[in-house]
Amino acid sequence: MSASVQSLVSQPYKYGFTTDIEADVIPRGLSEEVVRLISAKKNEPEFMLQFRLKAYRRWLTMAEPVWPNVTYPPIDYQSIIYYSAPKVQPQKLGSLEEVDPTLLETFEKLGIPLTEQKRLANVAVDAIFDSVSIATTYKEKLAESGVIFCPISEAVQEHPELVEKYLGSVVPIGDNYFAALNSAVFSDGSFVYIPKDTQCPMDLSTYFRINNGESGQFERTLIVAESGSSVTYLEGCTAPMYDSNQLHAAVVELVALDHATINYSTVQNWFAGDENGKGGIYNFVTKRGLCAGDHAKISWTQVETGSAITWKYPSCVLVGNHSVGEFYSVALTNNYQQADTGTKMVHVGKHTRSTIISKGISAAHSKNSYRGLVKMGPKAEGARNYSQCDSMLIGDRSSANTFPYIQVQNSTAQVEHEASTSKIGEDQLFYFAQRGISPEDAVSMIISGFCRDVFNKLPMEFAAEADKLLALKLENTVG
Amino acid sequence: MITPNSDLILSVNNLHASVDGVEILKGLNLEVRAGEIHAIMGLNGSGKSTFSKVLAGHPDYQVTDGEVRFKGEDILEMAPHDRATAGIFLAFQYPLEIPGVSNRDFLRVAYNAHRKARSQEELDVFDFDDLVEEKLGVVKMEATFLDRSVNEGFSGGEKKRNEILQMALLEPTLAILDETDSGLDIDALKTVAQGVNQLTGPDNAVILITHYQRLLNYIVPDYVHVMANGQIITTGDQTLAQELEARGYEGLLQQHQLEVTA
Amino acid sequence: MAASLSPPAPPLTADRRDRYLQNLAQILRSAVPEDLALVDLRSRAAAWLQEQTFPSPRQEDWRFTDLSPLLALDLQPAPAVSAPDLPDWSDLGTPAVQLVLVNGHFCSTLSQLEGLPPGAIAGSLRDLLNQPDLAAHFLPRLAQAPGQQEVFTALNTLGFADGVGLWIPPHSQVERPIQILYLSYPTPTPGLAQPRSLVVVEAGSQLTLVEQYGGDGASSLQLTNGVTEIWLQASAQITHSRLQREGESTFHIGKTAVMQAADSQYSGTALHWGAQLNRHHWEIYQTGPQTTTHLHGLAALRGSQHSDTHSLVALGHPHGRVEQRHRTIVDDRAHSVFNGRIVVSQAAQFTNASQINRNLLLSDQARVDTKPQLEIVADNVKCAHGATVSQLQADEIFYLQSRGLSASQAQRLLVYAFAMEILHTIPITSLREVLRATLAELSD
Repeated sequence: MSASVQSLVSQPYKYGFTTDIEADVIPRGLSEEVVRLISAKKNEPEFMLQFRLKAYRRWLTMAEPVWPNVTYPPIDYQSIIYYSAPKVQPQKLGSLEEVDPTLLETFEKLGIPLTEQKRLANVAVDAIFDSVSIATTYKEKLAESGVIFCPISEAVQEHPELVEKYLGSVVPIGDNYFAALNSAVFSDGSFVYIPKDTQCPMDLSTYFRINNGESGQFERTLIVAESGSSVTYLEGCTAPMYDSNQLHAAVVELVALDHATINYSTVQNWFAGDENGKGGIYNFVTKRGLCAGDHAKISWTQVETGSAITWKYPSCVLVGNHSVGEFYSVALTNNYQQADTGTKMVHVGKHTRSTIISKGISAAHSKNSYRGLVKMGPKAEGARNYSQCDSMLIGDRSSANTFPYIQVQNSTAQVEHEASTSKIGEDQLFYFAQRGISPEDAVSMIISGFCRDVFNKLPMEFAAEADKLLALKLENTVG
Repeated sequence: MITPNSDLILSVNNLHASVDGVEILKGLNLEVRAGEIHAIMGLNGSGKSTFSKVLAGHPDYQVTDGEVRFKGEDILEMAPHDRATAGIFLAFQYPLEIPGVSNRDFLRVAYNAHRKARSQEELDVFDFDDLVEEKLGVVKMEATFLDRSVNEGFSGGEKKRNEILQMALLEPTLAILDETDSGLDIDALKTVAQGVNQLTGPDNAVILITHYQRLLNYIVPDYVHVMANGQIITTGDQTLAQELEARGYEGLLQQHQLEVTA
Repeated sequence: MAASLSPPAPPLTADRRDRYLQNLAQILRSAVPEDLALVDLRSRAAAWLQEQTFPSPRQEDWRFTDLSPLLALDLQPAPAVSAPDLPDWSDLGTPAVQLVLVNGHFCSTLSQLEGLPPGAIAGSLRDLLNQPDLAAHFLPRLAQAPGQQEVFTALNTLGFADGVGLWIPPHSQVERPIQILYLSYPTPTPGLAQPRSLVVVEAGSQLTLVEQYGGDGASSLQLTNGVTEIWLQASAQITHSRLQREGESTFHIGKTAVMQAADSQYSGTALHWGAQLNRHHWEIYQTGPQTTTHLHGLAALRGSQHSDTHSLVALGHPHGRVEQRHRTIVDDRAHSVFNGRIVVSQAAQFTNASQINRNLLLSDQARVDTKPQLEIVADNVKCAHGATVSQLQADEIFYLQSRGLSASQAQRLLVYAFAMEILHTIPITSLREVLRATLAELSD
């Protein structure tokens, strides 16, 4: 029976096409010269070069982490191309007329129209193709409310004081091996600044596309929400299908000051490799939010369906008193995918609260691990955490693991963790079938019921996309 | 209700079926006509539940010989969900819990699957809600029951009533109730029995699979069959069930010169 | 995650840890009794140890338990004691078979073997291994349970001088509990006691086993490193209580490895009362289908005590059932660590496993680190785990106060109730009573 249930969760990757475009590519490999070259190509101020060099030197002294529950052949960091950008670039970003039409077409094909007439209403998009941002929509409209939304490379030029103040303030350059690598070579990403007491007038979104088969993608996102402000941010990712593995090592930093709220949602659908585990993206990402002020709130929502390997722990450091951290996650692994993902909630301030809802679905030979840390510091009086981690297994060759780390140093803190494992088995499907419901519909009902708590947290457009994405992955497949 | 010339709904000829290579059904014969209520009784292990699962098409059971016709059509090659929409309904002995899927959604999708199979237009959420709330009366359940996950955290009685609710909604031609009476207190048993009685008519038929005569006090069968060793060994009317209750299976089996296997 | 999950740089270099371990191994090897050479076993342990270093918080398994203080001790194998006394807490009330080890050496004067069921074998493991006909029950299983490749288990295998051997023949009901007492007496230099016990319950037999570790009351600075292996054959049942009540300056490291054959039942209760530093490895390996495992743990800690339980239940066959409850009560500056792994491999379909860890913090400086782990590769399973960390609920205390109890009486009552859920699982009334009294002192 596993074969029939299994076949339900396999379907072709529809974003696997390649865009044929001439690119400005630097020679493969990493050295101090390469770091300087990337900085020079971006015409960066001295502080950025120093930031990169410091990170590079730090990276040289570090070792790749071995504790995640994933296995992969050693990565040759000298065989990766660290900078690849479409050659014909508009002089000034924002004037879409000058963007290469091939690129606009690429994004249109991905469902992200960038041109004025077709763009999504009420969502501003920053589109990133390999190492650079190619277009950002609605910039002017956002500027009216004082919101800055632009590629980080542009922010380095236009708002160096903000970048210098906040870059690396949440994820220090030496935080971990992949964060150090990113700090040394990151090429582009999005920058968001929401001024005091401002509700961002529309949702912001970045769409990442890896095109080049041998380049890594190292983007960097920085979001700062001043006191009393709020923003909702969405992130989407796809890549063509290659036989080789590509490295994606991103860093996302969020800063929320007093009473500020940041909602950050991701739908990750990088190429996951084929049904034999060949190819796919290594998604080694560091995401962390700092609730710096009292009553600040950071909420991470993620739907992870792609990548050959996912290593990702969107986290919240709750420094401000009464600050709130949330993590809602659905991780689906199929074929030979491996995911080691979860969150860290570090409670520093008094009466801080955090909620973790994690849903893992593992099918075929995949390996899906939840790894989470809840830490109650000595001063976290009255802090509370609630965690719920549910796993669903499809077929008897997949594995689901739960590794919650709970560390408590304050007796008034309260931590609750619950985990359960269930399955979609033949008997469940037979029950549905006996009521006239086909196996395809049954699986999709069970999965969307299983994920409901998380989907409810996604912004509307994304919730629909996520549901569709899972349904697609589960389509066409009864044997 | 026995009406001699009513339509033949189910005909089973020399049915053999096995699970994991072990033969459980060993040549079972049965005919069920519209309007009839049949009770199948027997000890644990006699093959009663296997028979119900084979009729519904559970993938664990392999039919090795014989024939099953439903309204004249051979159903053995049909997928389980196609048999369901064709009109075969199985009330499960152990209804499954489906966390996260609300009872309301489950019922609507199931109901619409049946309509679609009959080339009828699907009901929208509002029309369906009106329909299902009307059907709740059959099993005396509150509307809040619809918003819980399917069978999750339901008591034994609630699960069985949920099965009857589904039956009320899907209006099957042939309803098979597999040990629906097991684990029910007397009040729940009465509710379930009343529901079943309300749903039977001249155009459909019911097969009750049960271990005890108790349920038959509330649902009066037209035929009572006794199963042993994968076959129907004797058939009678209500009095056979009473005899069975009085003399026990052993007496009956001895009479048929069969060993008590369970 | 990498940065904050990795511990601070170690104060001691790896070299020093290497040297310490190799030196200790050397000392142990040279002290092995001549009539207990066990060349193969000991050589294998020695060879493996040569590749190891002394555990440091840099290793994932030892992240929260720092053994650095041991490095300052010049440990020597603890000598036997000529005429020891039995501590007053050792009495089970009911006449029971009792086997006593002092500093890891069997003490026949304190042991009481009358009342053993017919055919059963019990006594000094060293003696038993020296009698070829009896050794046959033990030797094939000695150090054969999985999990030997752990530094302290290997040190024990390398150097143990004695222990208890217990063999229950097939289809025997052992009416009275059998107790093994591991006593620590002060030694002139910091002593290392390494008792080794091997318990075999043959098919269809039933046994109640109590193991108690403790000092004579006086504080002696030393390390107890005990290993007990329990083999349950088909349909065998054991109720096992393991009570650790060492003196407050003792370091206690222990391993309990249980091998469960088809249809066997293991019900274990482990209490961690004493020692300045306690670490218990509790490992259950399923070797056949349809086994039942109950693990109950309770640590009651105060002062600067540190207690760490690492449990593992490895399921590799269908229809296994596991229920684990681990509770800790942590007062003052004490620190409790729990790492509970349940591993359900692909063959272990229809496993039903649950694990609950509850931690009660009684002071601002008390600390808890817990990591319940589920690793599942089978799909037809039902597994759940949970962990909570909290203090006593204010409204519960208030409720009791409103019924006339003082705040401290209310607290004591609630702590007591929290602990009793575990103590209840000990099947011996007299022992439960003693523990109840001890607990009352602790919760004051």
